[in-house]
Amino acid sequence: MHTFNQLLKKIIRSGIGKSRYWMAYLGLGIAMILIFISIQLYANFNELLHSPKNKNESADFLVLNKNITRESDRNAEKNAFTPSEIADIEKQSFVADFGIMTASQFKVEAQPPVELQFSTALFFESVPDRFLDIKPEDWKWQPGNRLLPIVLPNSMLNMYNFGFALSQGLPQISQDNVKLLPIKVTIYNNYGQEEFVGKIAGFSDRISSILVPQTFMDWANKKYAPAANPDPNRVIIKTKDPGDPLLTRYLEKHNYATDADKLKNSKIRTVVQIIVSVIGAFGVVLLLFALLVFSMFIRLIISSCRKEINLLVTLGTAPSQLKRYLLKQFVPMYFVIAVVCLALISIIQLWAAHRLEYYQLSVSKYPGVGVFIAALAIVALLYVVNSRTIQKYISK
Amino acid sequence: MQLAIQQLLPVPLKEKISQQGSGVWNNEIQFEEGKFIKIKAPSGTGKTTLIHYLYNTRYDYTGKVLVNGNPWQDYNASQVAQLRQQELSIIFQDLRLFEQLTALENIQLKNCMSGKAYCTDVEIDSMANQLQVSHVLQQSAATLSYGERQRIAIIRALTQPFSWLLMDEPFSHLDENNTRKAAQLIADACKKRNAGFILTDLDDDQHFEYHLEYQL
Repeated sequence: MHTFNQLLKKIIRSGIGKSRYWMAYLGLGIAMILIFISIQLYANFNELLHSPKNKNESADFLVLNKNITRESDRNAEKNAFTPSEIADIEKQSFVADFGIMTASQFKVEAQPPVELQFSTALFFESVPDRFLDIKPEDWKWQPGNRLLPIVLPNSMLNMYNFGFALSQGLPQISQDNVKLLPIKVTIYNNYGQEEFVGKIAGFSDRISSILVPQTFMDWANKKYAPAANPDPNRVIIKTKDPGDPLLTRYLEKHNYATDADKLKNSKIRTVVQIIVSVIGAFGVVLLLFALLVFSMFIRLIISSCRKEINLLVTLGTAPSQLKRYLLKQFVPMYFVIAVVCLALISIIQLWAAHRLEYYQLSVSKYPGVGVFIAALAIVALLYVVNSRTIQKYISK
Repeated sequence: MQLAIQQLLPVPLKEKISQQGSGVWNNEIQFEEGKFIKIKAPSGTGKTTLIHYLYNTRYDYTGKVLVNGNPWQDYNASQVAQLRQQELSIIFQDLRLFEQLTALENIQLKNCMSGKAYCTDVEIDSMANQLQVSHVLQQSAATLSYGERQRIAIIRALTQPFSWLLMDEPFSHLDENNTRKAAQLIADACKKRNAGFILTDLDDDQHFEYHLEYQL
């Protein structure tokens, strides 16, 4: 067969210049890479969203409140969640855990150490312990304790350091130093007052509020506002996927609000999906064109060598021999292109993983299974279409 | 391989043959295996047509051409190719070499068609020597004279196994010497394979010791 195929090569000449072939192969390569990129982008994005390595501590806790409108702004009752509303939220599919945020029914005044020269009115809120990412030994309080642990939101420290401090000529403080500061906390209302020593026990990204342990809040509210038992104005939910469109739609429907930042994921998701689809669609269209071009090459070869092919058949060449020869002109190159494109996508993926590490995001260093399956599928498709084309035009 | 014809009648010559009659057309003939068969036919009686019917390159006939008891129509393209590679060889009147190949390459094309080379290079060289075409083997087939091409076509037909060799005026452009040598070559090749041949030509001749002779 070795010599026979060499002789076939001299007989079956198509007149298609080498440059045309290379352009067609290049087009095919571009189509493959586009398809690989879109598949890998999608896989990467899913990994960023759902892989445990990327679990963003704040991303899956959402604090919900009702939108305060013009009609409701003087009426705290209207802005509270009724028990039936709470029950409805709890049973939604996107709610993995649910907690009530308790507000203080008393007034609070805080006074940092004398050097800082200010005292301020404050408020407290509390959530069930499981919603906080803080060690239990730092967060315990019992009636009789003078020491009161407090959790501040990160944004508050930033507001102080970059707003208040700079404008008032006050020193900026680091997180660690803030934890060392004792704060004189006075809680009071008509009932009476009491003093505590507050200590910042930690900072939170999840909840923008000043938090105290639930045990303290329960005790203080009972002591200073025993009759009151208001519905909560804020609730906290844990969700697996803040970008879930179901969630956003539910909030819209009931006119609840939450930190808009965290819902951005949903928008980003849609945008990424569109980008991925567009790239993928381009790739597929280009692939179809490549298929068409190769089919036409085959037709051209067969028709321009019609006489020679007829004589070969007359002399006894089997159709399968001709088919094998023609496929050999194209199929090996398909494999080569697939391998080259796989190598390219591996390099791109490695580079992307490396860049993302800088942002503390983690994706796999290697292209996913999807890309390899796509490569095999594309080459198989090319083989089948070429094979059919040859079959069709040889027997004519 | 058994070769037979039944009431074979070329459509274009129907009229003529029904008028004149024929020893081959419209008869039932079983060609005996291994026999050297001569079919004499004046010009225009359909010599080449008959060869093409037997080789299955023309199909405008009524009646049957039977290969191993089955008509050609029963065989698919792969089976026909197989028969032409293993059982049935041919020397065309118009030779049908590839002009893009050299003389030797034309021979090698048939020689290697089945995968393994049937004749060794030495055997081919020897045949070329006998027919005095050694010196043109490396030349492009397009540059050869008709006689040289005819001798190459003869050698090509012998680089395969066969049980039947079809020949259509194979010595038309050869001098006496070369004709004698070519006939010897062919007779030896056939005897070696226990094969028969069917040769068509215009006149009587003494090239071979024919076993059977027909008038077309």
